[in-house]
Amino acid sequence: MSVKAFELVPAVERDLLMGDKARINIECIECCGKHLYMGTNDCFIHHFLLDEITTSKGKLSYSAQKLLHKYLGLKKPVAELRAASALERLIVLCDGIVFLVDMVTLETVPSVAGGGAKIRGVNAFTINENPVNGDPFCVEMGVLSSKRRTVQIYMVYEDRVQLVKEVTTPEQPCAVSLDGYFLCLALATQYIILNYNTGASQDLFPYNSEERRPIVKRIGREEFLLAAPGGLGMFANAQGVSQRAPVSWSESVIGAAVCFPYVVALDESFITVHSMLDQQLKQTLSFRDGHILQDFEGKVILASTKAVYVLTPLPLERQIQDLLDSHRVEEALVLTEGAQRNIPKDKFQILHRRILQQAGFIQFGQLQFLEAKEHFRKGQLDVRELISLYPLLLPASSSFTRCHPPLHEFADLNHLAQGDLEKVLRCKKFLISYLGEVRSIEVANGCREDIDTALLKLYAEQDHDSLLDLLASDNACLLADSVPCLEKYHKYFALGLLYHHNDQDSAALQVCLWIRVVDGDLQDSTRSDLYEYIVDFLCFCSNLDLVWKYADWALRKDPTVGVHIFTKRPANRDQSELNPDDVITYLGKHSQALLLYLEHLVLERKTQKEKFHTHLAVLYLERVVSLLSESPADEEELSRARERLQAMLRESDLYRVHFLLGGISLCERATLHGKLGEHDKALHVLVHELRDFPSAEAFCTWASYGQDSSYRQRLFHLLLGVYLDGNELAVGGDGGDLKMAAVDLLNRHGEVFDAVRVLRLLPEGWSLQLLRPFLGRAIRASMHACRTSQIALGLSRSENLQLLHDRRKKPIIVSEKKGCHLCHNTFSEPDVLCLPGAVPVHTHCVAQRVKDSPTKRQLTNSSNHT
Amino acid sequence: MKKPDVKVVLLGDMNVGKTSLLHRYTERKFKDTISTVGGAFYLKQWGPYNISIWDTAGREQFHGLGSMYCRGAAAVILIYDVTNWQSLAELEERFLSLTDTANHDCIYAVVGNKADLTDPKAQQFQDPDETSEDRAECEEGRTEPQLHKQVPPEDAVSFYERILRYKGLDEKSSLPAGKMCFETSAKTGYNVDTLFEALFDLVLPSILRKRNENQVSPTVDLEECRGANNKRARSSCC
Repeated sequence: MSVKAFELVPAVERDLLMGDKARINIECIECCGKHLYMGTNDCFIHHFLLDEITTSKGKLSYSAQKLLHKYLGLKKPVAELRAASALERLIVLCDGIVFLVDMVTLETVPSVAGGGAKIRGVNAFTINENPVNGDPFCVEMGVLSSKRRTVQIYMVYEDRVQLVKEVTTPEQPCAVSLDGYFLCLALATQYIILNYNTGASQDLFPYNSEERRPIVKRIGREEFLLAAPGGLGMFANAQGVSQRAPVSWSESVIGAAVCFPYVVALDESFITVHSMLDQQLKQTLSFRDGHILQDFEGKVILASTKAVYVLTPLPLERQIQDLLDSHRVEEALVLTEGAQRNIPKDKFQILHRRILQQAGFIQFGQLQFLEAKEHFRKGQLDVRELISLYPLLLPASSSFTRCHPPLHEFADLNHLAQGDLEKVLRCKKFLISYLGEVRSIEVANGCREDIDTALLKLYAEQDHDSLLDLLASDNACLLADSVPCLEKYHKYFALGLLYHHNDQDSAALQVCLWIRVVDGDLQDSTRSDLYEYIVDFLCFCSNLDLVWKYADWALRKDPTVGVHIFTKRPANRDQSELNPDDVITYLGKHSQALLLYLEHLVLERKTQKEKFHTHLAVLYLERVVSLLSESPADEEELSRARERLQAMLRESDLYRVHFLLGGISLCERATLHGKLGEHDKALHVLVHELRDFPSAEAFCTWASYGQDSSYRQRLFHLLLGVYLDGNELAVGGDGGDLKMAAVDLLNRHGEVFDAVRVLRLLPEGWSLQLLRPFLGRAIRASMHACRTSQIALGLSRSENLQLLHDRRKKPIIVSEKKGCHLCHNTFSEPDVLCLPGAVPVHTHCVAQRVKDSPTKRQLTNSSNHT
Repeated sequence: MKKPDVKVVLLGDMNVGKTSLLHRYTERKFKDTISTVGGAFYLKQWGPYNISIWDTAGREQFHGLGSMYCRGAAAVILIYDVTNWQSLAELEERFLSLTDTANHDCIYAVVGNKADLTDPKAQQFQDPDETSEDRAECEEGRTEPQLHKQVPPEDAVSFYERILRYKGLDEKSSLPAGKMCFETSAKTGYNVDTLFEALFDLVLPSILRKRNENQVSPTVDLEECRGANNKRARSSCC
């Protein structure tokens, strides 16, 4: 509870009213602008001028000046007073009589002839503040008769009153309020709404008017406030529906009024203030001997029997501030939003935003981050307000100053957390998530640098993964602030990214920095693969100077990976290409890398440049040579190097053979001879100098690859010749090897050889057993050929016979209208061929068909013997 | 203040759990409530519609206010306590007549609350939207059952049928009792969402009709008239 919504300010002190006359009581009051009228129990009307004074401290006070008092001459208390300011009349109820009094002179207005300015037998009356009749110079009045069960509607003019309507009620009415056509009445046992125009009535709810004094108070257009059983203040509209929840008063409530957004009620000893927005009791003011509570044009005036007070509302901002000061965020917001319609729109928006922001900070202070965030968002908080709570987060260059008056009570985060590190940490985490969300939206406009820099500092300090994401994406981090921070937390990798993002020129600095990290001069464990990352970076770097500058370092570190700078460089991009010649020159010192680069050029990119091919071949060669010179030679390594060299020599046709021949070893020389077409020399080298028979065989296979079978046969015969010649020349055991090689060759590749020629070549002394597999194969091949040709012969014969038969039967007619059975085109020439069954076809079609036929194709490589 | 499109009223004897039920639905928790004074009201955003839910006071003292609350209601939820037979009887004796002021097409639901006290299924139920702290708080007070169930569902059904008869409604054209009788537990949240959401779906036509009524304005729309003329011209042609 305890909002301070109102203050009770004395308006007319007791002395001023009745001096020392103890038995005079105030019976009724009326206030109209500055004019305050009072009716007393001794039938006087007092007229005061009430001036509002604001003291130097901003406090409101009233000074009352007595203008006049007048005895009405009826010796009865003045029961009610109502001003009709447009008519300059006071409507007075005294001793059951309603009559008019001049507002200034307080003289009773005399009745005019024919009409009357008096109504007798009146119990109570009410003024319609929302009349249907539009005449500004008359006032509509509802009157309750003291005896009859009727309500009368009068028009009050300057000098007369006129009855316009009379409606009967089911019971004796005792209190009334009027709005439009709607009378809200308290009857003896219930409240009703009565439309005096149509006579339709609507029961509201039961109420015992004898037990408790009813209250019927119009509080707005077609809405009334009623005292209900159980001390409730019920709202009802003209349709008989309650649109707001009731407020809970005490049972003995005397008067009530609405001063939005509050319902003020008076009972014997208190003034209670309820909010209409949440129905809660907000304030209680002690007020003894309260007697009257009425609102006049928004001003709530109270009277005890002896004195008059004004209940002045505190400014809304002040009330809201009080609520916020006591951390009652929800209530403050409800009050602000509830007051929306009473405040100009632009002013409301500013106020509302500020309240939301303050509310957010209160919740932030209570670590209710979810709620705080929502309020910050709704209140469009300048994020820097929040950032500034965290010491040293805002960049030094930021022009931000906290809003005044301050939105919160915290000096900084340490003040807020009171040394609780856990709290500090949670706040930081919140800020991280909040800034992360906010930086992409509109609020961030104009302070992106501040936000991003703050975020960077937080990420760095908290060792947050998103640091790299932030720096890798578009950001506005300020170098001046970020650099020291990243250095402090050893985020050198991130620092490099920052440089990179900020300025291409700084990229050098970035790489330099990373190199120091890799070299261990600086500590940053962000990336364990930083070296690879640098290589990758250089690989994609468009600044060639940078590449030249740092590639050396990378190559020294690890040539095989470092060379990726050149080999993995994306081709066909707009950026400047590296000239391979330059690269090769550059790589001069790094032989391994050079080799890899050349391999990349020759083998992967298939560069067709003699220079590279030769260079690569030379490098391979050097490698083999150097391995050979080592002792003991690493056999495995050597064979691998050789394989590569040989593959190169064989595959490529571009290198300069003679250039290599000089320094080359025997085996490779054979390949080179083969390249030059000097097969005899090659085989000679292989067989006699290297004595590497499997290589010799492989050479034949390689050299004849893609050539026709006769070429192949020639090569193999050549090899056989070399073997046999050597065998003859050789002496002792040496010859045995060659002989065995020749036998193996024949047995293995028998199908290539011309068996007849071989038999002629072979020395007489060789045993049959030795050549058995070869001979067996040769005989079978010969048999196969013989039989196949016999079959072919037979088939041809039968074909021929068929043709003869066809011709004899009937003539074959060929005309321009007849089509060829194979291509379906017509014949244009007399030359035709006849297929079996007397089918004429083009000669060229048959030729084509024979060429494509599977039998024909099979005949060409008849290795499959029958 | 947002204007409600439609009104739903909770009625029932004191201590049957009207406020708790509304609480469970709107705030997803069960907490101690004090006896409602007069009445309270809650505005529920249901899609594009605002539904005002009135929580009335069950105390005899405020009984007179009931018919005013019910005025213009589109749905009335009559709540009893399953462990208290009298609470169902009271509905018929005292509260049913209050609904005379409700809309003609008002929907009635009969709800037996406190089902967790008698029904293990309701007791074991867990409100998925409830925060764990709230649940823990609630579970502390969770005692092994089982009070005697005084009101069998059949009684609620026959009461619902009597409501229809009282309203002079045809049983066949009205919503079936099986759909309009619920047993709920405000404590565990059992059936609470089901109840309110089923009801909101059913009052939707009522909302739409109300909106349409408001749209029929006495102003003559010239555009509309011209459109009508055109149509007539076209149809009469040839």
